[in-house]
Amino acid sequence: MNKEADVKLVQSPAKKKRRKVHSLEKKTARGGYLFTLPFILGFVIIYLPVVFESFLYSVTTIERINAGESYQLVWAGLANYREALFSDPNYSQILTAGLRQLVLDVPAILIFSLFIAVLLNQKMVGRAAFRAIFFVPVILSTGLISQIDYSNTSLMTYMSDSEGIGTNAAQSTSVAEIVSAMDIEYLFSNMKIGGGMAKYVSSILNNIYNIVNRSGVQMLIFLAGLQSISPAIYESCNVEGASAWETFWKITFPMISPMILVNFIYTIIDAFTSSTNTVMSYINQVYGEAGKDTLSVAMAWIYFAIVIVAVVLAAALMSAFVFYQRRD
Amino acid sequence: MNNSQTEPRVKRETKNTIKVEFDRTPFWQRMKAKFITKNFLTKVIWTIFRYVILIGISYVILFPFFTKISSSFMGPEDFVDATVKLIPKNFTLETYKYIFLDNKYMQAVGNTALLSISAALLQTFVCAMIGYGLAKFKFKGNKILFLLVIFSMIIPHQTLQLSLFMKFRYFDVLGIIQLLGGGSRWFPQLNITGGVTSINLTNTYIPLALLSATGLAFKNGLYIFMMRQFYRGVPNELEESAYIDGSGIFKTFIKIILPLSIPMMITIFLFAFSWQWTDTFYTSLFFTRTSMVLMKNVIAIPESLKEGMTKYAAGQSMYQAAIRNTCGLMIIAPLVVIYLFCQRYLIQGIERSGMTAD
Repeated sequence: MNKEADVKLVQSPAKKKRRKVHSLEKKTARGGYLFTLPFILGFVIIYLPVVFESFLYSVTTIERINAGESYQLVWAGLANYREALFSDPNYSQILTAGLRQLVLDVPAILIFSLFIAVLLNQKMVGRAAFRAIFFVPVILSTGLISQIDYSNTSLMTYMSDSEGIGTNAAQSTSVAEIVSAMDIEYLFSNMKIGGGMAKYVSSILNNIYNIVNRSGVQMLIFLAGLQSISPAIYESCNVEGASAWETFWKITFPMISPMILVNFIYTIIDAFTSSTNTVMSYINQVYGEAGKDTLSVAMAWIYFAIVIVAVVLAAALMSAFVFYQRRD
Repeated sequence: MNNSQTEPRVKRETKNTIKVEFDRTPFWQRMKAKFITKNFLTKVIWTIFRYVILIGISYVILFPFFTKISSSFMGPEDFVDATVKLIPKNFTLETYKYIFLDNKYMQAVGNTALLSISAALLQTFVCAMIGYGLAKFKFKGNKILFLLVIFSMIIPHQTLQLSLFMKFRYFDVLGIIQLLGGGSRWFPQLNITGGVTSINLTNTYIPLALLSATGLAFKNGLYIFMMRQFYRGVPNELEESAYIDGSGIFKTFIKIILPLSIPMMITIFLFAFSWQWTDTFYTSLFFTRTSMVLMKNVIAIPESLKEGMTKYAAGQSMYQAAIRNTCGLMIIAPLVVIYLFCQRYLIQGIERSGMTAD
């Protein structure tokens, strides 16, 4: 079919020039639709109904009839939402704690992954080996493994005494702290920054395993972004006498800023699937309880709505500062 | 640097040869000029700093694996013995043996491999196709479609888990089966399928295959985004010359574009495969029956090891953790092998993607 169209295209006389252009346009448009057809079909047949039904479930309760062969939805209004926010004893507490943890984790992951990507982008001995090691968590510490890690309570401390690395995020209060909060506080008291900051930094350092595990893909995205910066810019900076510090803030940082926005959104979305996400695991627990499945949907929607509104606001704010290089 | 330059002394030795004597700068002075400079010192300090940080974080990443491996060879006695740290005293392979036998490891590997390989292959191909369509063809709604891809990535499937389950538990395409089964509101007299108004697709591979084939499975939005950015960097001249030579759109895609994007596709295959391999969300959502042994079922304490556990009750929780970690090690063993072969492509693919966010 395509071949015929091609032949026509080549042989059509000069008189019908306008029509030829039109048919080529049509042809590329048809090609585009054909290539994206799987997604269009899936989006219309599966995804949109699923999103819509999910929303529908959050305002109903499900009654199964015919011994589970089919089901009936009973309108419940905002009852699920009300129960989640006001009646459930744990939800609002876990929600605020989870949101606070998210606010603390996201900058840590972004800064860490950018820092490591910059380090891994430089030429040095053993770069390939370091890269291979740093991307190990992307492949090997997801899903089941991070679930096992999360339940490792005492083993890591036992195996390694005080110098160990806890794989468990809740472990930071144990003996196995890599850096004690005292040292950090001492360091920060000289800098007059305050105790909150000190606590934040020491909590990050003690959670370093968790942070490293969750910043793999971000590191890859940053590395790709760094690779796309033209070396000519760095060369001219060098010639003009800029220091490495200046080059980073004046060149690398603005050029990588679109990637920071992408990674910011990705990190937050990824946090939903993380096994250390307390809100999601609580929602899963509620989902497992009999007769509370629609309540869990309402909870998930509340959580998602809060996060997405915050993301949109933060992304709008950040996009004012994002620098896009004009490419010709 | 400013070593005093004296005139070289010239001596006539014979009629035709002369001897020239320089005042050569002494060795130490030359070394000093070369190495004790601000530039060099900052370079050294920066290099040391960089290696300390990189090695330190590599330690953080790799050390848990070392402890997991060493504890997997320990018998239950070792967990009550305070002198045993990283090196097992009672070296044993029992843990591996009983996970292999009791937890039906081979069956889980077979089932999960079939599931992961087929899902990853489908996802890689479909995402390449969609990414290519979005990157290279101008058509109405191209931009909107790309936004929809991002949108499908933004709503986490965890939020949709109930409706995803219900969708495939009571599967129906646009109400057609309901219509044929006589369940619809307008044609209740129609009854071809004998009262069946929906199909139960849970406990089969079909839900994941459907999600993969439509680019809606786990993180497929990311893959489509990556493929699109990659194809935007491929020059149009390639396809144009193929079209002029009489090749159709699909033939061009299969014969010219796909071979070109193999590093990128290996990257995506690696992601899709390993994330599906260790996945808990979809497998526990769609596979509710325990007769279907998947990787998630491997993580359990084998019956045969419970005897040693009660004997040394003090180390019980740690022994259990060690067994669970051994299960984890056995689960990721195939992934480690694949990673060792493919990590080169992973970084290559990402570096060549020329990813920018515009």
